[in-house]
Amino acid sequence: MIKIEKLSKFYGKNQVLNSIDLEFKKGKVYGVVGENGAGKTTLFRCLSGLEDYKGNISSNYTKLKDHLGLLLTEPFFFSKITGREYIQLLANSRQIKLSNIENKNIFDLPLNQYASTYSTGMKKKLALTAILLQGNDVFILDEPFNGVDIQSNLIITEIIKRFKELEKTVIISSHIFSTLADTCDEIYLMKNGEVIKKVEQVDFNNLEKEMKEFTVGTRIDKLELK
Amino acid sequence: MIDFGLPLLIGYPLLLFLFILLSNYLFRNTEFANYVYGLIALSFVSRLSDPKRNDFLKSIFNKDKYKKLRVVENLIYCLPFTLFLIYKEQFVFSILLNLLIIIIMLFNFSTNVNVTIPTPFSKKPFEFAVGFRKTFYVFPIAYVLTYISVSVGNFSLGVFSVLLIGITCFSYYSKIENDYFVWNYNLSPKEFLLEKTKTCLINFLLLSLPIIITLSFSFFNQIDILIVFILLCFAYLTTIIFAKYSSFPNEMNVSQLILIATSLIFPPILLIFIPLFYYQSIKKLKDILND
Repeated sequence: MIKIEKLSKFYGKNQVLNSIDLEFKKGKVYGVVGENGAGKTTLFRCLSGLEDYKGNISSNYTKLKDHLGLLLTEPFFFSKITGREYIQLLANSRQIKLSNIENKNIFDLPLNQYASTYSTGMKKKLALTAILLQGNDVFILDEPFNGVDIQSNLIITEIIKRFKELEKTVIISSHIFSTLADTCDEIYLMKNGEVIKKVEQVDFNNLEKEMKEFTVGTRIDKLELK
Repeated sequence: MIDFGLPLLIGYPLLLFLFILLSNYLFRNTEFANYVYGLIALSFVSRLSDPKRNDFLKSIFNKDKYKKLRVVENLIYCLPFTLFLIYKEQFVFSILLNLLIIIIMLFNFSTNVNVTIPTPFSKKPFEFAVGFRKTFYVFPIAYVLTYISVSVGNFSLGVFSVLLIGITCFSYYSKIENDYFVWNYNLSPKEFLLEKTKTCLINFLLLSLPIIITLSFSFFNQIDILIVFILLCFAYLTTIIFAKYSSFPNEMNVSQLILIATSLIFPPILLIFIPLFYYQSIKKLKDILND
């Protein structure tokens, strides 16, 4: 279990996370939704230990980060490193010995090509493959469906479902509500650095409606489209 | 104006001083200095041939203006080398070098070429895998220089080949990586630094092994000097790794670079700098590695 208590984060005087309390249990999939700038990525960076913060994050692990697979919104790639070497690098960093990478290339990526030349979706799939092969127990997936084709979307959704069966903890942020509704047990709605709503699976439909009303409202009418 | 935390009025003269110092060192130690110097100048100027950069220039200027601009750029970039060659009265070489520089401009790297350069370091990315691909041409040059050094009996030139590989490997560690790639390690800061250093020294040895073996057999009576230079390469490579992480997640600052440059005059001072950078690195890596 991962427990977040009174988590706050400031960038200078600007508060981006405000006293967040959350719990992530084993074998559950959690969704985090919110507008751009709501604080989702910062929450993930704090949770993984990439950012310092105020408050407390505790878990059953001595070092949570060593069991954590983090998929960044925009994964970074070195200019002259192949897809295969990227996977190898991330495995090496966790002392994982990989064999037959080609067989585990479920997204059919051109692994001998420089990763920096990949398209946005391919980069995402490569970064995801690399963290999947690290053998993690906890996964934070920041926008895993962004730029990814429909076939891969289906594969990622199935992987998340498989993780649930394997008792892993998964935290996902996405702007595509249907994928979250398909996979998540709970969804947290964030706004201005706060978790303003926690929604269980049975209420997902209401959440989508509420979000639509709240977000769209009469905004489009202002354009006076004809 | 301040650049990298150092006033430009100090930075530029310092850079010039280091350039003259190293050029003098090269010309004092080998009679083939002008060849080596030419190759260094060419590799320096070839950086301006980056396809993306040139595509951008082509999109702004017409064909004639683009060519003129590239010729002038290359000549200006090469100017310090040209002036030093003239100072050394190597007039023919300076003319040849400038002609080559102009020819390089005509050499067009295609943007569509996406060839993956094979590297022996695929199993242990990333510094050497990336670095090797960026500087692969240096290694045949170093091996050819070793061959020349043996055929003409010039030990200094052979030692220079080892140093050339050392400097090349040194450059692989000049930039700090994205924090994600450090965060991923499930090692303590001490283990992390040892792992990085071990990989670097083994890979450097692998690359310089053909030279070391050749020189050891050909100049056996000077093997002690060769060992000293190899150890110096080890020391500088260790220094750059520790210095790099001592300012993590930021890039190395100029004061660190000045300290390293100062040690060129008096290398034993590394015995102070290495532990200093090491302890600073441990401190900086503690947060990201959650130690």
